[in-house]
Order: sequence, then C-alpha cells, then structure tokens
Amino acid sequence: MAAVFTPTKAARRGMGTLSQRRMVAGFLFVLPAVLFTVAMFIFPLLMTGWMSLHNWPLLGQATFLGIQNYVAMVQDSQFWASLWFTTQYTLLVTPPIFILAFLLALLVNSALRGIGIFRTIYFIPVVIGLGTSSLLWVWLLNDRVGILNGILLDLGWIQQPVIWLVDKNLAMTAIVVSIVWKTVGFSMILLLAGMQAVPDELYQAAEVDGASYWQRLWYILLPLLRSTFALALVLSVIGSYLAFDQFYIMTRGGPQNQTITAVYWIFNNSFTYYKLGYGAALSIGLLVILGLLSVLQLRVLRDDTTY
Amino acid sequence: MQRIVKVWTGLLALLLLAACAAPVAAPGGEQAAGEPASGGVTISFWTRDSNQAQVRSLVDAWNASHENQIEITVIPASEYMTKVGASVGAGAPPDLMAVDLIYVPQFAAANQLTDITDLAKGLSYFDKLSPSHVRLATYDGKIFGLPFNAEGSYLIYNKGLFEQAGLDPENPPKTWGEIADAAAKIRALGEDIYGFYFSGACAGCNAFTFAPLIWANGGDVLSEDGTVATLADPSVAGALALYSQMWADGLIPPGAQADTGTDFANAFTTGKIGMAGTGAFAINNIKTNFPEIDFGATFLPGQEGGASSFAGGDSIAIPAGSKYPQEAFEFIQWATSEEVQLEYYAKLNNLPVRTDLAENEYFAQDSRLTTAAEAMAIGRTPYSIVYNQLFNDANGPWLKMIQTAVFDGKVEEAVNTAQEEFTKILAGQ
Repeated sequence: MAAVFTPTKAARRGMGTLSQRRMVAGFLFVLPAVLFTVAMFIFPLLMTGWMSLHNWPLLGQATFLGIQNYVAMVQDSQFWASLWFTTQYTLLVTPPIFILAFLLALLVNSALRGIGIFRTIYFIPVVIGLGTSSLLWVWLLNDRVGILNGILLDLGWIQQPVIWLVDKNLAMTAIVVSIVWKTVGFSMILLLAGMQAVPDELYQAAEVDGASYWQRLWYILLPLLRSTFALALVLSVIGSYLAFDQFYIMTRGGPQNQTITAVYWIFNNSFTYYKLGYGAALSIGLLVILGLLSVLQLRVLRDDTTY
Repeated sequence: MQRIVKVWTGLLALLLLAACAAPVAAPGGEQAAGEPASGGVTISFWTRDSNQAQVRSLVDAWNASHENQIEITVIPASEYMTKVGASVGAGAPPDLMAVDLIYVPQFAAANQLTDITDLAKGLSYFDKLSPSHVRLATYDGKIFGLPFNAEGSYLIYNKGLFEQAGLDPENPPKTWGEIADAAAKIRALGEDIYGFYFSGACAGCNAFTFAPLIWANGGDVLSEDGTVATLADPSVAGALALYSQMWADGLIPPGAQADTGTDFANAFTTGKIGMAGTGAFAINNIKTNFPEIDFGATFLPGQEGGASSFAGGDSIAIPAGSKYPQEAFEFIQWATSEEVQLEYYAKLNNLPVRTDLAENEYFAQDSRLTTAAEAMAIGRTPYSIVYNQLFNDANGPWLKMIQTAVFDGKVEEAVNTAQEEFTKILAGQ
C-alpha cells in the first residue's frame, strides 16, 4: 500500500492537482492586496487599539492603563460636544451636496458632444487637496484682499467687508459652501455611474407606455438608484464625520472653540497635548460610532429591487 | 456608456491615489562641492523649515571646511515635534537637532537629550549666550542645549504714517498710553488706515508680541520655575485692557479677529498699519520686498515705560542616542563662535545668539537690527514642559483669554477663566 501512495504524495507535493495549483495561484494574486491591507490598515488598527490602553506620551515611556482612557472618554464633555457639533455639521452639509450632485448628474448624463468638458469642470475641485482648497477659501473670504467681499461690495449688497470666519453662523455657512464646492463632483460621479447602469430598455418601455419625463425620473430612475445613493451617502457621511482640515485651517476651531470637530479633538489630544494613548482611544471610539452609523444607513437604504 | 463609467472609475482611482500620497519631506541639504572628505563621519541634523535658508548656508559653510559632514533634514515646523517623537520612539533619533527653544524643557524632562553641562560651561563665551535660551535649556540644574537661532519681538511702526499723523517718527511710543494715542491719531488719517494690528486668532503670535507688554510692566504669566500660573497679576489685565480699548475704538482692522497667523507678517507690509508687534525676520523681509515702507523698530513697553521682548528662536541639542555626540558638539561650538556669528548670522541680517555681539559692524548700518538684537538680549520666555498646551494651542486658555478680553470686552472674566484653566493644566502635567 505504502508503495502505491508514496509517489502520488511526492507528485502532489511537487505540482499538486489542478485545483490546488489554482488555489495557490489565486492566493498569490490576492497576496499584494492582502499585504497592503495588513500593512496599511490591520496593523495600524491593532496598534491604535494597543496604544489606546496606555498612557502614551509623544516623548518618554508608555505605561499600561487598561481601559482608563475609555473611562476618561465617556466623561470627556468636549469629546461629546465635538461629536454633536460634527453631527450638526454633517446634517447641514449632506443635503446640499446630494441635491446639487443629483441635479448635476442629471445634467451631465447625456450624450451631447463636449459633455465631458462639463463633467470635468464639475469634478475638478475634487482633485484639489482639502488643505489647499481650505487655504484658498481663507483668502477668497479675506476682508481686505478677498474677492468675495470685493464682489459683494461692488454689487452694493454690503457696505462693509464681511469678516466671515469670526461668527459661528457665518463661518459655518462659508465652510459648508466651500465643502459643497469641493466634494459635490465626487457624489455626482457616483450618481452618474448609477444612472448609466440603468438599462435603456426600461426607459424605452416606459416611453412607449406614455410615461412623462418626471414619471420616468420618479418611478424608474430614483428607485433603481437606491443602492448607488446608499453608497454615495455612506461615503459622504463618513467624510463629513471625519472633517478636520477645513476647520483646522479656516477657523482653528473658533470662534471661541465653537467649531471643534471630533477629529479635531483627537488631533488636539494627540499632537497638541501629546497624549497619543488618549487620542488613540478617541479614534477607536469614533471608529465604532462610524461603523454603527454606516450599518444603519445601509440597512435603511437596502436595495432588494431586481430587474 | 459603460466605457465612460470605466474611464471615470479609473480616473477616480488615480485621484484617490494621488490624494493619499503624503507630502514628502523637504530634500536633504546638498553636499558641499566635491566628495565628502574621507575619514570623516556624517552627522544627521534636523531643523524646522522656518529658518532653513540660514541653516543651509551655515551647514554648507561647515561642510566646505570640515572633514565631518552634516546632512540636513528640513521638517515643517508644525510637524516637528511629531516627527522627532516618532523617531525617538523608533530608536533612530538624529545625531543633532535644532528645536524651538520652548520645547527644550519638555525634551529634557522626558530624558531625550544628552547632558552637555561641562562642555557648555567650558566655552569662554558661555555667559554671553542668549540668557533665555540657556534658561530654557536648563533642566534639573543641567544644560541640554545651546542657542542656535535667535528672535526677539519688538514694536514695528510706520514712519510715514507717524509723520502724516503729526507724530515724531524718531520718538516712538514708550508707554501703553502713547501707543493708544499714536494709534488713534493714525486711524484718523483715513478709512482704510489703522493704528495697530495683531493676529487675533493666533495663539503663538500673541505669546510672541503680547506677553512682552506684561513683562515690561513687571508682571508675568508663570512663576519662575513654570509651575504656577500668575495671570491674576494686574499687569495682565492692564495689557488686555489696552488692546480691548483700541479694539473698541476701532483702531485695529476688523479682520484681525479672524487672523490665525496667515496675516501676521503681511498686515504691516500693506503700508496701512501704524504699529504692530513683530520679530527680527520682518526687517529683512520689508527691506527686500517693500522698500517703499519707511519703518522703525522700538521696544514693547510697559504701562509707564520699561521694555521687554519674547526671546524666541531655536536651541541646538544632541538627542540621547546620537551616534556622534562629540562631533555634534564641535559643530555647536563652531556655530556659536564669534567669527561664524558675525559672518553667517549678522552679515545675513540674522540676530547673533550672543549678547556681546548685538552691536556689530553689520548692524551698525541699520539700528533696527540692533534694536531687535537688544530686545532678544533683554527678552524672556515662559518656562514650561506644557508650553504647547498653555500658549500655542489655538483652542487653549491663552488665546481664549485674549479673545474674550479684547473682542468681548470682558477683561476680568477672561483673566479669571484663564488663571483657572492654566492651573488645571499645570496640575495635570
């Protein structure tokens, strides 16, 4: 018996069956992606979790604390205030992004010659770094040399230059406008992709049945866009919850610390107060909250449509 | 249709990748002409970007004349502490580093620097080095760094506007009252001309230009050893009241309230600002880029006279774990020598780090540089291992105090809150 099995085993070790070789090949194909994910996501995540259990100063020795940082987080009124502020900001910035993105997507979803130019124009702000665009808006809004005040003054709409960033409401308005300008192109592209995936036959059939443009929009396009909406919404909400650059650069959390977002507070703890361990605990806390929010959104917008 | 989607998806992926690529640190210094001399070692040296031009010319000069070579890495100032912290954590610190002097107590307290007490005290000019730098580099009676780059804050004023307003441009304000008077007269010159400027949303800027008003008046913000907050000192409320009154009278441009520091150096160069607190760096900038502005420099005063300054700049220190501490100190010694201080500091309009060289042949041509150098010599710097949290934090108690007092006019409330918050932070250190 042994004599019968031995060569087979050896052969298997050498080359393996076809399905085994395919498995190995498959593994090798996904290996780069796996390594990348492990190095760039899993490992940092585990490290963050580990750090969050320590008093971890930027300089000097770390000491183990257990869950003390998480206890501190629950009691940290500024963290919860920041989270609430971030929620308000998200609620404020999401509707204009979506309404505008949907309208733009409808506009550019056509086969007209040169339509690509418009798609590109609407998309260009997405390409600019958020830090760069925030700095750009700081100067656009400047009271002495800003073009926005210049235009409003020339139109006679205002008598004195508006100091946008010293009043909470004005500052929020300015930031929301700048972020809508910056990110609307991204949501537009996602929605456009969704629109183009809707089979033309459905429209044609509806047209034959005498459906108007609005009826086609309402009864065909919107329901079929549901899953695209869900994806775009999750991405946009996560992006808004992670808001930092625009507040750090445009308002510095001011006036009077009224615009400190959750990530801003994490940044302050980690890189201003040098409490890396506590910053890590806050990050894990935010991660959990965002995870729950995303699950919730995907549930609500779950798409069971088949066509 | 599908192709369009594909193209866009591909483009999107590219963009995301591009967005993820982190800004790359500035390239290292260029090697001096020719091959590095054989036999010498290469010392890694980190510095922040704020004064990189000066540091590069200095290091190039060293590399051209010495066997041991220095390789600079320039790091953005805002990321400096994080990078150094990370490198220390990874067990690979640079052999030598220049660091904002306010951070030295924190580094020393965390045992991250090499004790250079004996070497430093062995320098013949040790007692001539910028006193503020040396004070902040001293921890537990030991010395961990020496001055490398000096800044002193002072009051800059526009002589043209002084003359137009009927003020004597050669006799700048010497008290708080005179500052307010001059500001009011200059404000009267025109709708877009203002008497005074400060960056109302910039914490660090105001440590640099506002705190000296308190010191010049005999007050302080922290006790000598940096463990007790002293904001209840009447000088603090007094200086805040000066700003608050000027703000209420409309002598300061409204935009100052929103300025996070982006306009700190620029506001005065518009030629429409009468006075502002600034540093030595401004002299060279205005002379080169705004030659049409005739300006003077004077000390930041107290209520009834006196003078003070924030002594800023960088200290140079040898991190614990440096591979070449001995060689690194040779560079420090060379950089603080009289010849280098004159040829590579004073001659290039940079302040010498030695008080005995404040008056020199190069500064003799421009009394404003001498004023800045003297300001640095009499200058002070708060000593604290939580400096950043107290004074530099844009959301911290220092800036909040100034904003509440100046823009809301609530001086007393501002001081009381800040005193409480300072005390809380100092207790938790």
